[in-house]
Amino acid sequence: MSASYQHAGRQNRLKQHHMGILLSIIKTSLSDFDRNKLRTFLTSLGILIGVSSVILLVSLGVGLKNYITEQFENLGSNILIAMPGQIFGGDRQMTGGNFSGITFTEKDYLAIAKVSGIKAVAPAYVKTVSVSFEGKTEIGSYYGTTAEIFPMRNLEAGYGQIFSAGDVEKRKKIIVVGPKIAEKLFGNMGSFVGKTVKIEDQGFKVSGILKSKGGGGFGGPDFDSFLYVPYKSSPKINQEKKFSVINFQADSETVIDTVKESVTALLERSYDEEDFSVIEQTQIQETVTSIFAILNGVLVAIAAISLIVGGIGIMNIMYITVTERIREIGIRRAMGATRRNILSQFLFEAVFLSFIGGSFGLIVSLVIVFIGSRYFPLAIDLMSVVVALTVSTTIGVVFGVLPARKAALLSPVEAIRYE
Amino acid sequence: MITLAHVNKIYQIDGEEFYALRDINLEIKQGEFTAILGPSGCGKSTLMHIIGLLDTPTSGTLLINNKDITKLDDNELSRLRNEFAGFIFQQFNLINKLTVLENIMLPTIYSAKKYSYEPKTRALELMDRFGILIKQKSYPNKLSGGQQQRVAIARALLNEPKIILADEPTGNLDSKTGKNILDLIRELNQKEGMTVVLVTHDREIAESCQRHISMLDGKIV
Repeated sequence: MSASYQHAGRQNRLKQHHMGILLSIIKTSLSDFDRNKLRTFLTSLGILIGVSSVILLVSLGVGLKNYITEQFENLGSNILIAMPGQIFGGDRQMTGGNFSGITFTEKDYLAIAKVSGIKAVAPAYVKTVSVSFEGKTEIGSYYGTTAEIFPMRNLEAGYGQIFSAGDVEKRKKIIVVGPKIAEKLFGNMGSFVGKTVKIEDQGFKVSGILKSKGGGGFGGPDFDSFLYVPYKSSPKINQEKKFSVINFQADSETVIDTVKESVTALLERSYDEEDFSVIEQTQIQETVTSIFAILNGVLVAIAAISLIVGGIGIMNIMYITVTERIREIGIRRAMGATRRNILSQFLFEAVFLSFIGGSFGLIVSLVIVFIGSRYFPLAIDLMSVVVALTVSTTIGVVFGVLPARKAALLSPVEAIRYE
Repeated sequence: MITLAHVNKIYQIDGEEFYALRDINLEIKQGEFTAILGPSGCGKSTLMHIIGLLDTPTSGTLLINNKDITKLDDNELSRLRNEFAGFIFQQFNLINKLTVLENIMLPTIYSAKKYSYEPKTRALELMDRFGILIKQKSYPNKLSGGQQQRVAIARALLNEPKIILADEPTGNLDSKTGKNILDLIRELNQKEGMTVVLVTHDREIAESCQRHISMLDGKIV
């Protein structure tokens, strides 16, 4: 047998020996967890709370942002709105109020419809009215408009049908009801198509009930709560055929600016430039989004704070549990454990606890997001998961191993006598 | 087997040097039963810890089987603690969350030793011999002091050490139990030829041993 062969054999035996020790150490750690369930639970709980609070807070922020974007995308693309008053700029904040007191006319609507680059125009006369059906009365928003509102705003009939341009011309006394107000009025919806509702003593036959778009709130109009009536059909309610708002849709994104300029110029012929504004829907969206960006920032800050607090919690419990085991470290050292053996044991324990805590934290937040997203906009952000897991595991491992390292560097006798 | 030459152990306390051991020269031969006698604070425990590699001397040389211990690394020292020496402490130093059997088996976890016997069988035999076999699944804090010390002795013997180092093994026991434990250690020396170093402050115990060394203020007198 050659010397090198013998050497290789010895190396092999040594390797096997180290593996054996490592396995015994892991077994020791695992049975230790079993015996110290409370300690194991508390340590993991610290990491669990740290991880899940960060993931949940961030998912709330991301969920809200997605929700708002989705809401606005739902409202149709390339849409512009002419409204009375100054909406942006000047010293006024963004509002939907009717500051200048002007209203648009049918002439304005027809003129805008002729502007090149415009795909559809839907003027609207909006008024809060009481609407009644078989003795039941609800407050709703009367929305006198054209048939173009439906394709423009992606509105579809869930029951019955929407009204057509022909219906508007024929001044049909019909109504398309938003699902929210329909539910209040009719309860069980479908069978009420064809029945008559009364608005300010005028009867309107229900032509259709819209599919729900969700939303309202967060700055977008609540299309689910409107009562859509052809604008020519209700001379008593809107005698002068005036409009409080004109929605119009550009052919494409590229012509939005030209269309906006043309319409502004057109309206300036009839009104003072300070008395109305033409805005892009995306402007409203940007404003709302920027408000939520602040809210999101606050959420991320809270998440960061809870990560720090969670981290300190992990630090404390790791430090305490290791410190109270310094005597045990001394005894193990006296029985022949090397420094590396001690470090492996505590490293394994810390990694294991962090892993358990981290995984359960992840599972808990996934479950909460899964259940909570039915009631509230929540969306998991992968980055937050990675950051939360990395930070809390790192803290757990560092503060599990550092005091153990300190103890392993003591002489066995110092460790045994450590108070 | 063990030779100490000019061994000093110095602690720094508030910037002042304190000599726990001063110029210790000592030889311990195989099969000897040596008692180290002295009042508390004389350095006898420190001396035993240095002999047992639980502590390191500040200066001087320590030879075990003619090998200079001060030049060994952590792995080699740990291996000697594991295979060469068996410890018995005044405070027993058992791990309370491990069962009696697990405590006795503790040295096997860290052992690179090629066992010529099954460690668990040996553990059970030792427990049987010391009358603690029925306690194998109990936890140390449920045992009497005498029983705990027997567990500690069984643990010390498991890896068949060359030397038993006992630091006031009877210090926490009543006199009758103490005598039993002492007889047990003496028996190891007489029947198995085990080298024993025993630290005690009890002159009577020390004088009953084959050889005794007296210490005072860190020096052998």
